[in-house]
Amino acid sequence: MIEAQSLTKIFKDKKRGEIRAVDNVSFKAQPGQIYGLLGANGAGKTTTLRMLATILKPTSGTAKVVGHDIVDDPELVRSSVGFLSTATALYGRLTAQEFVEYFGRLHGMDNATMKARIDEIFKRLDMDEFRDRRCEKLSTGEKQKVSIARTLVHDPPVMIFDEPTIGLDVMTARTIVQFIRECRAQGKTVIFSTHVMSEVEKLCDTIGIIHNGKLLAEGTLAQFGERYGQQDMEEIFVKVVGE
Amino acid sequence: MDARNVGIVYRKELTDILRDRRTIISSILLPILLFPLLILGIGALATVVVRKATRESPTVMLKGEEHAPDLARRLRENKRLEVVAFRDDYVQQINDKKLRAVVEFPISFETNVREKPAEPQTIKIFHYEGELRSQAVLRWLEAAVKDYSESVVTQRLTAARVPTEVLNAFAVEKMNVASAEKVTGNILGMILPYFIIILCLTGAMVPAIDLTAGEKERGTIETILASPIGRGDLVLGKFLLVLLVSIVTTALSVLSFAGTVLIGGELLAKIQKSFVLAVSGKSIAVVFFMVVPLAATFSALLLAISLIARSYREAQSYLGPLIFIAILPGMASMLPGVELNPGLALVPVLNVSLVAKEIFAGQYHWNLIGLIFLSTCVWAALALYVAVRQFHREEVLFRM
Repeated sequence: MIEAQSLTKIFKDKKRGEIRAVDNVSFKAQPGQIYGLLGANGAGKTTTLRMLATILKPTSGTAKVVGHDIVDDPELVRSSVGFLSTATALYGRLTAQEFVEYFGRLHGMDNATMKARIDEIFKRLDMDEFRDRRCEKLSTGEKQKVSIARTLVHDPPVMIFDEPTIGLDVMTARTIVQFIRECRAQGKTVIFSTHVMSEVEKLCDTIGIIHNGKLLAEGTLAQFGERYGQQDMEEIFVKVVGE
Repeated sequence: MDARNVGIVYRKELTDILRDRRTIISSILLPILLFPLLILGIGALATVVVRKATRESPTVMLKGEEHAPDLARRLRENKRLEVVAFRDDYVQQINDKKLRAVVEFPISFETNVREKPAEPQTIKIFHYEGELRSQAVLRWLEAAVKDYSESVVTQRLTAARVPTEVLNAFAVEKMNVASAEKVTGNILGMILPYFIIILCLTGAMVPAIDLTAGEKERGTIETILASPIGRGDLVLGKFLLVLLVSIVTTALSVLSFAGTVLIGGELLAKIQKSFVLAVSGKSIAVVFFMVVPLAATFSALLLAISLIARSYREAQSYLGPLIFIAILPGMASMLPGVELNPGLALVPVLNVSLVAKEIFAGQYHWNLIGLIFLSTCVWAALALYVAVRQFHREEVLFRM
């Protein structure tokens, strides 16, 4: 469960002055559901998700992630979250297994639990063949699997995906989409950001449209359809943003 | 702070860095090979130069040789010089470095010297100021001419029945009180601290960049920041690893230096007799102990600075000037007259190079050694504080 309360992030830029990258954003994401943040590039999606993952500190406002406050208990929040974005790269000189183990240890797992967990994940994601290969030598698809394994190693109740499919080929992107669905099926709270309308239509239980740092509209696909007399997400998005 | 997490980061970075070719070359191979190559290189160069110099003896011409048959014979008998036939374009030849010097005798030189002692005669020596070989030839010629002059004076005194001893009112004898270690200390104390400081810095540089700007460049910074580890623990783990590499680099270079001295000492002694190498194990141990907090200062500072950079290259360009800043105090310690005092004991880098200079010279001012160790520890703590602060600054971590 994620509950964002008036999240605001202001960046100071020498040339442009103050930028309100995220402006008073509040929403709730429920367990067993996928919350989709839809917005153009620079709308504030990444900043919002980075604040939820406590990589950035909010300027004002806060959020609760499975009950932990992102400002007061950032380390507890990070323990409960699996964070995946196209920017979260791998350590190329570690092997796939070493990489996942590193994060398992940082999550405070003991060796026996971690070994069992990693064996299980590697088997499920069909990764055994390349588990001892260095990450720099892996294909894009294999790298994505290693990243997924990293986010899963501590079995977090909350998953945050920041544009996870950007720049990936169709097959790799499908793996990710499939993975997001599995997370929901396991009852995890899932939040993910994208600017791809079709992904929103396919995946999301609740959709939030974010533009210029502000959350402009929120609802299920059906609710949006009723409100705007449209079934096409792209048309709905243009209408919301144009208002 | 969580020691377990610091240890996890440290071990991971160690595995990572040991697989990095750049680190292996700059922090392990380079310090091992630097001194042997340097000394072998200097030795080989010196051998070549000496051999070349002995093979071809420098040429000189004598102008008006017929006026000085006796002195000319002496010069021709000098094995260091080769007297060639006189030619009128000698000034041009000296300029072209085909000829090293020319001795010009005035008309009736020797006759006048013998018969008209009241009329002083002048010999001219043409040479090339600033050209090493011409200057060497000039010195030899001056010595030969002085010999001749003294023989003439002796003859005159004998003829006048005056004992030659009247020429010397008294004698001067130079007595060296410095031990062999101190003589060496002065030479080593100048060069060695300088090398140690540079290696201590450059050894830490590659891993420091790799662990900060390298993480940004490869996109792993966001991955690690999303893990539960606290940022302070993350910095500490990284810092300890960079410190380890810096110390290993320094230790390897000191060991390699000691080895080179043991094996290559004789070679050096052949080149320069005064270069007797006597370094005690104690002095090396104490200097090494002093270098540890300095390495810590460098490691923390390098982390703090290279974290600002977005890429490996950018970090290198930021750290370039730092080498000069570190070298300057090292150079200052080589200047004569810069002596250690309680004030300078607080100046980072300079204090360690000055105290190393003293230690290699066999002088142990324990009060100052303690003060320098403490002040360097304070500097290290400050640098580490700055590094930890840097890892909390979003505008540094996510610089666009």
